[in-house]
Amino acid sequence: MRTKETHLNRRRFLKTAAQAGAILAMPHVIPATALGQGGRAAPSERIRLGGIGIGNRGSYVLGCFLHEPDVQFVAICDVKASRRQAVKQMADTKYGNQDCAMYADMRDLLARGDIDAVLIATGPNWHATAAILAANAGKDVYCEKPCTKNIAQSLALAQAFRRTGRVFQAGTQRRSLPNFMYAIELARTGRLGRLQTLYAHPMGLKTEMSGWLPAEAEPPKEEVDWDMYLGPAAWRPFNRRLLDGFNFEKGGGMFGAFGAGGCLEWGSHCVDLCQWANNADDTAPVEYEPKDGQLHARYANGVKLVLRNDGWLPLGSCPVRFEGEKGWVETADDGELVASSESLLVNKGAKIGGYPADFHVRDFLDCVKTRAQTRANADVACNSHIVCHAGNIALFLGRKVVFDPVKHEFPGDEEANRLRSEALREPWRV
Amino acid sequence: MSKNRYFVRCVLLVAAMAVLPPAVGRAVPTDKELKLIGVLQSDAPAQEKAITCKQLAVYGTQEAVPALAALLADPHLASWARIALEAIPGPASDAALRDAMGKVQGMLLVGVINSIGVRCDAQAVDGLAAKLEDADVDVASAAAVALGCIGGDQAANVLGQAIANASAAVRPAVAEGCIRCAEKYLAQGQSAQAKKLYDAVCTADVPKQRILDATRGAILARGSAGVSFLVEQLTSSDKGRLGIGLWTARELPGQDVTEALAAAMSRLSPDRQPLLLLAIADRKDAAVLPAVLKAAQSGSIEVRTTAAGALLNVGDVSCVPVLLDAAVQDDAQLAQTAKMTLAKLPGKEVESDLLTRLAQATGKTRKVLIELAGYRQLDAALPAIVQSIEDSDAAVRAAAIQAVGALGGAAQVADLVKLAQKIQNRGDIEKALQAVCSRSGSACAPSLLPLVQSDDAGLRMIGIHAMAVAGGPAALAAVKSAIADKEESVQDEAIRTLSTWPNNWPQDAAAADVLLGLAKSGKKTLHQVLGLRGYLQYLRGDKSLAPGDKLAKVNDLQNLIQRPEEKRLAVAAVSGVEAPGALEMLTKFAADPAVMEEACSAIVNLAGKNIPGVSAEQRRSALQAVVEKSKNAGTKRKAEQLLGGI
Repeated sequence: MRTKETHLNRRRFLKTAAQAGAILAMPHVIPATALGQGGRAAPSERIRLGGIGIGNRGSYVLGCFLHEPDVQFVAICDVKASRRQAVKQMADTKYGNQDCAMYADMRDLLARGDIDAVLIATGPNWHATAAILAANAGKDVYCEKPCTKNIAQSLALAQAFRRTGRVFQAGTQRRSLPNFMYAIELARTGRLGRLQTLYAHPMGLKTEMSGWLPAEAEPPKEEVDWDMYLGPAAWRPFNRRLLDGFNFEKGGGMFGAFGAGGCLEWGSHCVDLCQWANNADDTAPVEYEPKDGQLHARYANGVKLVLRNDGWLPLGSCPVRFEGEKGWVETADDGELVASSESLLVNKGAKIGGYPADFHVRDFLDCVKTRAQTRANADVACNSHIVCHAGNIALFLGRKVVFDPVKHEFPGDEEANRLRSEALREPWRV
Repeated sequence: MSKNRYFVRCVLLVAAMAVLPPAVGRAVPTDKELKLIGVLQSDAPAQEKAITCKQLAVYGTQEAVPALAALLADPHLASWARIALEAIPGPASDAALRDAMGKVQGMLLVGVINSIGVRCDAQAVDGLAAKLEDADVDVASAAAVALGCIGGDQAANVLGQAIANASAAVRPAVAEGCIRCAEKYLAQGQSAQAKKLYDAVCTADVPKQRILDATRGAILARGSAGVSFLVEQLTSSDKGRLGIGLWTARELPGQDVTEALAAAMSRLSPDRQPLLLLAIADRKDAAVLPAVLKAAQSGSIEVRTTAAGALLNVGDVSCVPVLLDAAVQDDAQLAQTAKMTLAKLPGKEVESDLLTRLAQATGKTRKVLIELAGYRQLDAALPAIVQSIEDSDAAVRAAAIQAVGALGGAAQVADLVKLAQKIQNRGDIEKALQAVCSRSGSACAPSLLPLVQSDDAGLRMIGIHAMAVAGGPAALAAVKSAIADKEESVQDEAIRTLSTWPNNWPQDAAAADVLLGLAKSGKKTLHQVLGLRGYLQYLRGDKSLAPGDKLAKVNDLQNLIQRPEEKRLAVAAVSGVEAPGALEMLTKFAADPAVMEEACSAIVNLAGKNIPGVSAEQRRSALQAVVEKSKNAGTKRKAEQLLGGI
C-alpha cells in the first residue's frame, strides 16, 4: 500500500488534466481574477489561517496550505508543547519571521478576530466539537476526518455550519482527485447503467469499547495538557499510550482507545465516495447488516453498499468499485482506473496517484473567498459519517439494523437508537 | 455533478436534523442490567465503573438511574454517568439530572445542565432560568444554551428577557440560546415567534458571529419579505454580512426570491456578481435557469464565465446555442468553461442538437463541435468528422483527426492513411492511427499496407508502429519484411518493434524465430542485442512451451548471454521453470554479482517445490549457495527455512 503523498502543483494538475482532454467535474468555475489569484496575494488579501492539533497528518495538510500563495499561517494550538514548537518553526521558516503565535487552549486561538479559517487535525475525539467551536467563533474550517464520533454529532456539525454560514471542508480529499471524480461521473451519468452495488473499503471492522488504561505520572501541563487532550471524551487518567494512540476515541463511543474506528476509518473516505456516486449526499442507506465478515447496506433506491476488506484489484489503498447494469469501474489511491470496458475510460484524464490533498485544500480556499459550498461540506460530511456510524452500530450489536435517514432514528430499535449519541465531558457541548 | 444539488432539499430537513427523536424506554430490567447496577454500587475500581456506565447507556433502564445519579458528584466518573443518563429514556433520568442541578457546582454542574439541554427537558426551564443568574459564568452560559435547546414559549420568554438584561459575559450564550430556540420555532412553522427572537439578537450587544447567525434567521423567518434585508447584506461593505448574505441567498426558498436576487445583481459591485450568481445557481426553482442563462450572455467576462460553468448543473438543451457561442469567444477561460459544460451537459437531446449543428457548422464552431463529439463519444458524428480531416482550416483538421482517433474503427484507417500520404505534418495522424488500431486490432492491418509499402521512409515508420499496435499475422509479416528495408533507420525501428512484440496469441510465435535469427546473426550489434532480448522475453511469456524445452532453449543461448541485462532476462525466463537443470542454471547465474540477488530469489522460489527429476541434494546445494551469497535478509532466511525442511 502506498502511503507517500506528494504536493502537486495546481498548475501541473490543470495542465495534465487538460492535456488528456479530461473535463473534470468542477461545478464552481470562478475566473482567477475574481478570486484575486494570479500571483502571491498581498498580506492584507491573504486568508489568515490557524492550526489546531497539528501532528503527522496535520503537518502534511498544513504543508498543502503553506504552498498556496493566498494563505498566511499565523497561529498554532496544540496540547503538546513539542508540537506547538515544531509547527511554529515550520511556519516561521516559511515566512522568515517569528510571527506564528502558540496556544495550548483552542479557545484562545479562536478568540482572535484576525484569523479567518482554521485547520483542525486533532485526534478524531475533538474534531466535531472543535469545528463547532470554530464556526461559532466565526471561522471557516478545514477538518480532518473522521469528523464526528456519532450520529448526533454529525447532525450538530451540519446544523452549526448552516446556522453560522461558515465554510466547512471535511478532510476527505479523494472528493477532489481526478480518478475518483471520473469514476463517480461514470456512475452518476448513467454510463454504468442503473447502479446496483457500490463497494467501499472500510479498513477494518473491529468493535470494542473505549479504553481506560492504568494511570501513569502526568507530565506538567505546560508540556502536555491532558485535560484539554481528553476534551469532550469521558475522563480517564493520563496514560501515554492513549496520548500517542492514533485511534483514541476513533469510531466514537463504541470503537475506541485502540480500535480501528470500526468502518469509520476509511469509510469516511470510501463510503463518502459511494454516497456521491449514488447521488445520495443528502441521505443514507436504510438497512445495515454484518454478513460474512462484510457489512452490507441498502439504500431506499435499491442500490446496495458493501463494505469489504478484501476482493479488491491491486490499485492501492482506499479502493471503491461501482457496479451498474451495463458496466463497472474500480479505482483507488494509485490513481489508476479499471473498468469493464475501455470505452468507459476514454476521457479519464491524467493519472494522479498518492492521494494528495492540494486540490481539496484549494477548493476550500476558493470557497472561503466565494462563500460557495465545498465539495465535502458539512451536509455531505454529515450524511457520509452517519452511514459509517449506523454501520458501526450494526457491527457493535452484531445484527441487522433498519435506519430512517429523514428522522435519523432506528425505528423501534431502542438499543440502536441509544447509540446515536454520547454525552460530552463537561464543559464541552455541541 | 453538483456538490450543491441537494442543498435546498437539505434546508427542508433542518427541523429533523436539529434534535434526535428520543429513544423509547424499555420497562423491565434484565439480569444483565442488575449485575451492572451492582458494579456501580460496589467497591469496584473507577475504571470498571466507567465501562459499566457505557454498557448501561445501551442496556440500562430507569432502574439504573439512582446508581448513575450517585456518580454525578464524582469528578472522575460524572462524565461517564452522564453518558448513560443522557441515553436512558424516560422521566427518571430527567428527574435525576434536575435534582443534581441543586447538588453539584462548577464544571460538574455545567455538565449536568448540558445533559438537560440534550434531553430537551421542558420541566427544567424554571431551574435553568434561575441558573441564568448564577455567579459562575460557565453555569449561567450553559443554562442559556440549554434553554435554547429545550425551546418553547416559556424558554423563549426567559431568553427574550435575558438578552436585554444578562451580564456582558453571559449575553453571548443567551444569544446562542435565543437562536437555537428560534430555530425550533422556525422548524415548527412559527415564524413570528422566531422572527422576534432573531430580531432581538440582531440588535443586541453580542459577538459579531451571533449577529450574523441571527441575521440569517431573521431573513429566513421573513420568507420572501426578507429579500430586501438579504440584499442589504449582499451590498454591505462588511465581509461578514456579505458572507451570510451569500449563504442565505442559497437557503431562502421561492421563485420570486430567485427573480429578486437576479434583479439585484446589477446593484452589486462587479467582483461580487459572480459570487451571487453561484448562489443563485445553487437554488432550485424554475427561475434559476433563465437567470443564469441571461448572465451567460451578458455582463463581464467573469460573470459570463461563472454562468457558463454553472449551467453544467442547471442547464439543458436550451443552453446549447449560448454555450456554443461562448465556446468560440477569444477569452480562453470563458471558451474552455463553456466547452467543459457542453461536454458534460447531460441528455440525449443535447447530443442530437450538437449533431445537427455539426452538419452545418464551419470554422471555430465546427472545431468545437468536433471536439465535443469526440469527448461525448458521438459515433453518429463520424461521417461528418471524417469529411473534416482534410478541411482547409488547420485547427478544424487537427480536431477532426484527433476525434477520428477517439471514435474511429478499422473503416477509418484507410482515410487516415490517405491523409498521411498527402501531408508532411503527420504527428496527429500517427497518434490517431495508433488509437484506432489499439481498439480495432488486426482488422486494421490491410489498410495499413500502403504505409509500410510506401517509398517514403517516414510513412514506413508510421506503418510499422501502427502495425505493432494492431497485431496479428499480417502485421507481424509486414514488420518482419521491414527488417530488410532499404533504409537502415527503418530496419532498426522494425527490429526494435519486433523485440517488444506481444506474445498474446499463437500466431505471435512467428516473431520468435526471427528474433532468434537476429540474436545469432544480426547484421550489427544493436540487432543482435535487440534480437536476444526480444527472444528471451518471448520465451519467458510462452506458456505453450514445455518446461524442459524452455530450459533447453535458454541453454542454447548461453554463449550469447554475456551482459547483465540479458542475464537478468534469462533468469526471469528460467525462474519458475519446473524442470531438472533449472536450479543448476540459476546457480551459475548466481555466481555473477550483477544478477546474484535475482538468481537467488528465483532459486528460493523453485527449490521449495518438489520437482520430478530434481533430487533433494540438488535442492540443498542450490539453497546452500543462496545462504552463502545472498545479501538479502529475507531471501537468506527463506533459504535457511527451506534447507531445514528438506
